Amino acid sequence: MLLALFRITLLLICIYTARHYWFTLNRLFSRQRHPYVDIGTASWPAITVVIAAHNEEAVVADILRALLEVDYPQDRLAIVPVNDRSTDRTREIIDGYVEQYPRIKPFHRIAGKPGKAAALKDAMELVETEIVLIFDADYVPGKALIRQLVAPFFDPEVGAVMGRVVPLNVGKKLLTRMLDLERSGGYQVDQQARMNLHMVPQYGGTVAGVRKSALDEIGGWNEKSLAEDTDLTYRLLLAGWKTAYENRAECYEEVPESWPVRVRQIMRWAKGHNQAMTSYMFRTASSSGLNWYERLDGVLLLGVYLMGPVLVVGWLLAVVLFYTGVEIGGGLTVLALGAFTTLGNFAAFFEIAAAARLDGSRERIRLLPLTLFGFTVSLVSVSRAAWQQLQGVLFGEADLVWNKTERSRTAPVLEDARLPALEESH
Amino acid sequence: MASWGPIALTAVTASLLALPVAPALFELQKRRDAAPLTVSRHSGRTENFAESFQSRLEPLLPELERCRAKNEVTRISIDGLEALLVGRDDFNFSHEDIGPVEAIMLAHPTIVPAGCEVSVDLYAASTLELGAGAIVRAALSIGDVTLCENSSVLRWLHSRGNVRLRCGSAVKGRLSAEEWIALSGSCRFLRVSAPEIVTADDIPAPGRVSQRKAIEGHNLHSEYAASAARRHRVRGDFVLPAGETLNGDIIATGEVRIGAGAQLRGSIKSYKDVVIEDDASVNGSIVGEKSLRLGRRSYAAGPIMAERGVVIDGESRIGEPDCPTTISSASVEIAAGCRIHGTIWAREQGSIES
Repeated sequence: MLLALFRITLLLICIYTARHYWFTLNRLFSRQRHPYVDIGTASWPAITVVIAAHNEEAVVADILRALLEVDYPQDRLAIVPVNDRSTDRTREIIDGYVEQYPRIKPFHRIAGKPGKAAALKDAMELVETEIVLIFDADYVPGKALIRQLVAPFFDPEVGAVMGRVVPLNVGKKLLTRMLDLERSGGYQVDQQARMNLHMVPQYGGTVAGVRKSALDEIGGWNEKSLAEDTDLTYRLLLAGWKTAYENRAECYEEVPESWPVRVRQIMRWAKGHNQAMTSYMFRTASSSGLNWYERLDGVLLLGVYLMGPVLVVGWLLAVVLFYTGVEIGGGLTVLALGAFTTLGNFAAFFEIAAAARLDGSRERIRLLPLTLFGFTVSLVSVSRAAWQQLQGVLFGEADLVWNKTERSRTAPVLEDARLPALEESH
Repeated sequence: MASWGPIALTAVTASLLALPVAPALFELQKRRDAAPLTVSRHSGRTENFAESFQSRLEPLLPELERCRAKNEVTRISIDGLEALLVGRDDFNFSHEDIGPVEAIMLAHPTIVPAGCEVSVDLYAASTLELGAGAIVRAALSIGDVTLCENSSVLRWLHSRGNVRLRCGSAVKGRLSAEEWIALSGSCRFLRVSAPEIVTADDIPAPGRVSQRKAIEGHNLHSEYAASAARRHRVRGDFVLPAGETLNGDIIATGEVRIGAGAQLRGSIKSYKDVVIEDDASVNGSIVGEKSLRLGRRSYAAGPIMAERGVVIDGESRIGEPDCPTTISSASVEIAAGCRIHGTIWAREQGSIES
């Protein structure tokens, strides 16, 4: 029994290892698909930019100012800051901008279910356009970003678009430097490889857009979801809509600067992702409307946060089996185990190194060995999240509570002359 | 031996473990690459290089005017840019006259002599003509520009007026004009942008391009491309029969063919090829994962994206004067007599049928 479980664990680890290598090698050596990147001239449609803001007094002014300066026809751009039950100065700051710029149409939400999906669901009442772009309040869009995110919607099959997020507060701490590398791997390699291979790029919930008719078709935002982005990706996919990833639609974000914040963030992501997995894994695997590679990638993407506990279980089983003297298998198993310990462990790091190279980073790649530390923290966090969810299932303890990621920014970044993306506008 | 063996083993193991971590700790301490990654700074407009060049040369314009008034040639340096200001109208682009400069500013209407190679950027305050076989690195012209037979621009060319490319000429980077661009047979290009781009066997006379009569019946707005039109999902090929009209978007896993004279009021997405037959029209965008062919006298509002190649037959029209659009593909081949409003992006090769 234990041996069978160990072999299954090993098989899963090998599959995900192969996946990492496949994506990385594709990104390094295959033809890159950027089908919408050249659309610079077009009859740009009317759009609404929705900004999700819950207690964002430190950052909300930055994004409002940045959006007022973007290179998009002003008469076709509506800005809707969604002040979701804020108890700080968020409302006051937004209203100050509304006085100066009446085309900002605020949505002050004073009650209702907590969570981003619930807030977005309520805010859709104000949206009159077919294309909706979503930003979290701590993001700082560059001048060209809006056009880059809208361009894929000229493809009638595209239901959602995802841009690339780039950490802004990289140099602050060891954690921010780790997250910078991790984000590079996730976007520069993972997301772009999925785009190249016609697989399932993931809608990420911010620096993103959604087609309103597609959203309406699938029943709107799912307020019961902890990860409305993953949830939306799969509901669109199953309804025949595609998510497009735009690697060159880049936007700065603020990453967590303290480990407790990071742990809470990744635990929320893990729980939301696992929640989506239970809802959509079977439907994705059995969907007749998807290609086999979409189904395979869709299922593996849903299981990605489960690999933490799987790895922990694998390690524990390996120790138990070793000390109980159980023969762990024939040559193939030993070979798989050997391959994993020599290569598999490093697949994710290979991916990050490739991403750093593609980004043209020179020195930061030296930090790669330290990402092992961040990896360990993530491993423990997602395993803990999975355990809590399992407890919820076994003992009926509901633990699906949405926690906002705390911001570290204390001053506006738009006044920072060193900010590369905004040099042009100042 | 036995006493220091374990210590040595521990020390060696610790050293081996520390080896890969040492550069990491060094970088963590020194922070040599700790700035945020640089994200896209501009909108990717075709005119970006020309605008940047213009802004660098702006302070020299009064001096160029002075040179013109005095009919003289002056060398000048500003912010590290070495420029040659030419106020004479008989400048002949000899290597001795040019010398080690990065830019030449020309005050008078100028003809780059046939066969001449100019390896610096040009600023022309008036009209500019490249003689047959001439090669220029890059040029910004306030007046009209003509590229004579087999001449070429290596990086970018922008005109505040119009640009004519005669037979066999080429712009190997970005080509843009604020009025119109006329491309003759066998011309080659990569990226072209103007309110109006025409292709012709012969070069039209000035003013003739803008006065061309619009093709009747294609006045629908390209906002179909981002509308909530009804979706028709098709497994396999899709054919809209000749002469018929369909409202809605077509998404097909096979080839999409719009029959002769048919009209699609919506957009197209095909996993394979797209064929728009003669006299047909599409009032939205066209996205093909392989190639796209637009037949004679066809119309598309755009944008048009085909991952492998686009072929546009004669007398077709893409975009509208008030709704310019984009054609993007690895290769773009256009026949004579077409009219395009907006931008053509040929990532590998763009050409006009000879």
